[in-house]
Amino acid sequence: MWGEDRLTGLADGALSLDGDVEVVLSRTDSALTRFAGSRIHQNTSRLDGEARVRVVLDGRVGVMVTNDLSRDGLRAAAFKAVEIASFAPADPHFAGLAPAGQPYGRTAGPDEETVGCPPQRRAELVAAMLAELPTGVEAAGTVETSLREHSVVTSTGIHVYSAQTGAAASVLAQGPTSSGWADGAATAIGGLDCAAFGRRAGEKVGLGAEPRELPAGRYPVVLESGATSDLVQWLGWLAFPGRAYNEERSALSGRLGEQVCSPLVTIVDDPLSPRLPGTPFDAEGTATRHTSLIEAGVAVGVAHDRTTGAVAGSGSTGHALPAPNPEGGVPHHLLMAAGTQTIEELVSGLERGLYVTRFHYLNVVHPVTTSITGMTRDGTFLVEDGRIVGGVRNLRFTQSILDALAGCEAVGSEAELTAGDFGGGALAPPVRLSGFTFTSTTAY
Amino acid sequence: MQTRDLADLADLALAEVTRLGVEHADVRARQEDSESVQVRDDVVEGVSHGSSSGVGIRVIHDGAWGFAATSDGSADAVRRAAQQAVEVARASAMVRGRDGARAQLDERQPSVGTYTTPHERDPLEVPLSEKVDHLMSATATARDAAAVSYVEATTEAWRTATAYRDSSGGAVDQLVLQVGGGLAAYAIGGGEVQRRSYPNSFGGQYETGGWERVLLLDLIGGAADAARDAVLLLDCPDLPLREDAVLLLESSQLALQVHESVGHAVELDRILGSEAAYAGTSWVAATDRGSLRYGSPLMTVIADATTPHAMGTFGYDDEGVPAGQAPIVTDGVLTGYLTDRQSAAALGEQSNGTARADSWGAIPLIRMNNVSLQPREGDLASIVADTDDGVLMHTNRSWSIDDKRLNFQFGCEVAYEVRRGQIGRMYRNPTYAGRTPDFWGSCDALGGPSDWKVWGVPNCGKGQPSQTARVAHGASTGRFRATVGVR
Repeated sequence: MWGEDRLTGLADGALSLDGDVEVVLSRTDSALTRFAGSRIHQNTSRLDGEARVRVVLDGRVGVMVTNDLSRDGLRAAAFKAVEIASFAPADPHFAGLAPAGQPYGRTAGPDEETVGCPPQRRAELVAAMLAELPTGVEAAGTVETSLREHSVVTSTGIHVYSAQTGAAASVLAQGPTSSGWADGAATAIGGLDCAAFGRRAGEKVGLGAEPRELPAGRYPVVLESGATSDLVQWLGWLAFPGRAYNEERSALSGRLGEQVCSPLVTIVDDPLSPRLPGTPFDAEGTATRHTSLIEAGVAVGVAHDRTTGAVAGSGSTGHALPAPNPEGGVPHHLLMAAGTQTIEELVSGLERGLYVTRFHYLNVVHPVTTSITGMTRDGTFLVEDGRIVGGVRNLRFTQSILDALAGCEAVGSEAELTAGDFGGGALAPPVRLSGFTFTSTTAY
Repeated sequence: MQTRDLADLADLALAEVTRLGVEHADVRARQEDSESVQVRDDVVEGVSHGSSSGVGIRVIHDGAWGFAATSDGSADAVRRAAQQAVEVARASAMVRGRDGARAQLDERQPSVGTYTTPHERDPLEVPLSEKVDHLMSATATARDAAAVSYVEATTEAWRTATAYRDSSGGAVDQLVLQVGGGLAAYAIGGGEVQRRSYPNSFGGQYETGGWERVLLLDLIGGAADAARDAVLLLDCPDLPLREDAVLLLESSQLALQVHESVGHAVELDRILGSEAAYAGTSWVAATDRGSLRYGSPLMTVIADATTPHAMGTFGYDDEGVPAGQAPIVTDGVLTGYLTDRQSAAALGEQSNGTARADSWGAIPLIRMNNVSLQPREGDLASIVADTDDGVLMHTNRSWSIDDKRLNFQFGCEVAYEVRRGQIGRMYRNPTYAGRTPDFWGSCDALGGPSDWKVWGVPNCGKGQPSQTARVAHGASTGRFRATVGVR
C-alpha cells in the first residue's frame, strides 16, 4: 500500500502545466484464486496502477492514460494530454473541472487482513467451501481479494484520497443432473462465510436433482438476492444514467415524481455505505453521497456527472466515471432497501411459481421499457403451496424490469452484496414478484 | 516501463523465475498503446490515448499453477513477482481435487520467431486532426441525409508489442496492430430509441492493419443510408411473434451467431469445466469429435489465425504456438476444438494455438481467433429471391445465450419481411430465438464467396479476472428457422 502522500504526490508535475488539469490516480493490488473440478486451476496476482490526466485548454479536452506511475511517467502523460487537447476541437458541453472546498463523506478504510492476504488464505477458503459439499458433488468458483487506492488531484484545488479493500467468493456445486450456486462479497475477507456458501450451494444440488421441464409462460417468482441485484444493476445502466434521462432514452425521462413500480421498492445509490466498497469522491473529484433514485416506488432521481448535470440544471450528483465518458453519470453503488420477510416467508406466500437463484447473461431488449432477456441457472425450483417441490430446467426470460418490480409483493430482510457478472455489483434483498415472463426453455 | 525494452524485461523475468527451480515458466512482457476518438455530430466527445506495460510470470511448480504480474519493470519488482508466482503455485497445490492431478502441458518444440502485422500507416501515428475530420465528415453526411436525433462515429486503434519467453527455449517477439471504426445514427421519439449502424454496430468494423483499413470502411459512403433507416424505423411496427419462421441473417449478424453458438461452445477449456462457474460449460463434450452433428451439411467452420486483415490474426499465440488453421465443423459434423497447451494435453494432443492473454497482467486463456463459417453459393439477393415467406434481419443489437451455449436470443437493428422472393416492409425491434443444434440443423442456404465477409468482434469477455479478447468471424448470408418477434 502506497498511502496518500506517495500516490497524490505523483500529480505535482502534471499540475504545473498550463490550462486546467485533473489527475485521477489509482493503484490496485488484486488476487484471484479460481477453482474447477474441485481443484485450484488458475491462481493469479496482479499489481497495477493508472494515472488518467485530463487537460483542458480553452474548452479543448485531452485525456492520456498510463500505468507508468513514476514522476517521469506522469510528466510524459501530462505532455501527451496537452498535445491531444491542443489538436482537439473545443467541446461546448464540457462543464469544467470540479471546484475545491466540497464536504467529503467518509468510507471505511482498508481492512488489514485483506491487504496482506496471502494466497494460502484464499486456498483455505476454497477448501472450506469444498468441505461442505455432499459426496459426489464437484465444485467450481473463486475467492478474490483486492486493495484499491484512489486519488483525484486538480488544478482547481481538489486533493482527495481513499483506500478500500474488497473480498468475494463464489461456489458452483455440480451434481449429475443439477447444480447449485452461492456467493457473497464484502469489504473484508473476514466478512465472507465460505463454509455457508458451500453448504447453500450443495443443498441446492440435492433440491434440484432430476429437474422437470416447465413450459415457458408467466409465473410468480421469488428471486434470491443475487437475481434481484442483477435487475437493480440493469436499471442502473438503462434508467438511471443522467444522459439517457436528458435525451429521453431512459424509462424515467420526464417521469420523476411518478409511481414507476411497487411502493415496496426503494433504490438508492450510496458509495458511502459501509456495506459497499465505495469512495467519497467520483472520477471528477465531486463528493459522493446518498442519492435517492426510487423512493417507495416513485422515481425521484437520476445520476449525473458535471456535464449531464449542467444540462439537466441539477448539477453533478457525484456519479462521474473516468474521462472521457460520453455516457455521463452512472450509479455503481446501488442498494435496494430490505423488507421484513425471511426467505422462507417469501416462498410460503407463493401458491405456484418459481424460485430463482441466479440469472445468466443478461442483455437489453428495449432500453426505454427496461426490457431485458437472460437465463436462469444453478438453482431454479418449482414452488407449490408455499414450498419448494423440486428443480426445473432453466428458462429464458424476456421481461421489463420496472414492470416486474411493479408487481413486487414482498421484500426480504436479508440483502446480500454480490459481485455482478462483467463488472458492477449491487446490494439487494430477495423479493417476491407477482409475475415474470419466461419465453423459452433449455435442455438442462 | 521506464528503461528496459520488452525483450530485456522478458529475459530478466524468465531468469528470475527459473532460478527458483520451477517445472515450467512462461513470461510475457507487453506494451500496449491505444487510442480512441469519439465524435457525436460536430462535437468531439472523447479523445484518449492509453499506454500500459508490464510483465506477467506464469509457472508450474509442485504440479500446480501460479501467476504474478507487475507494472513495475525494476529488477527488484520483477524478482518479487517471480517469487510471488511461485508462492501462488504453492497455494494452488493445497487444493488438488479428488484425483490429485498435476498441471501438464502438451509436448512441443519451442517456437523462436518474430511477427509484425502487415500495415501501411501505424494508426497511432496518424494525426488526431485527420481522424477527427474523417469522423466528422461521416456524421455530417448522415445528418444531411435525414432528421436523426444524433450521429456518433468512433475510431479505435491498438498497438500491442509482446516479448514471450519460456523455460523450454521459446522466444517470440510480436507486434500486432488493430484498428476499428464505425458510425451509428439514432432516432429518438415516442418512447423509442432506434439505431442504424454502419458498417456494423458496437463501434463498427474491426481488423488488423493500419489506418488504411479504417479508410477502406468508407464511413462517409455508408452514413446516409444509416441515417435514413434510423428515422424510418421510428414509425415502423414491431416485428410480430412467429414460431418456426424462416429467418434470413445477413453476414454481420450471422458472424455473431457463430461467435456465441459455435466459437464459445468449442473452447476446450469450457468443455473440460474450467469456466463452469462464470461463463459456463458447453453442450459439446470432449468425446463428441467426429460424431456430433452440429448443423446441416452446409455448415463448415474453420478457426484460422492467419486470415488476412482479420481481427483475430496474429503470428503466435501467448504460449508461443505459431498461428495456424484448425477444423471445427466439417459438413455439419464436429471435427475439432479450440485448444491451448494445457487442454490439448488432456486429450493427448498438441495445442492449435488459441491461448491469448488480454494484457501483461493476465494469464492466457483459450480465445477464438478467426472462427469462420465457410461460404457456399449465392448471395443475399439470390437467397431472398429463393425465399417464399420469411424475415430478413440485419445488424446486431443484443445477444444472450445460456451457460451451455444452447438457448439463445438475439436482437437486431432492423428486419424486413420477405414475401415471394421480394423484400417487403420494415420492422423495428426484431428478435429471434432458438437452440443451437436446431438452428444450425435448419440451415438450408449459405451465401458464396462474394457474399462472405470477416467481421471483427472487439469485446469478447471471458475469464476471472475478466479479460476482453479481440476476435473475428467470417460469414455470408444464411437462411434458418427460428422463433422471431420475442418480446
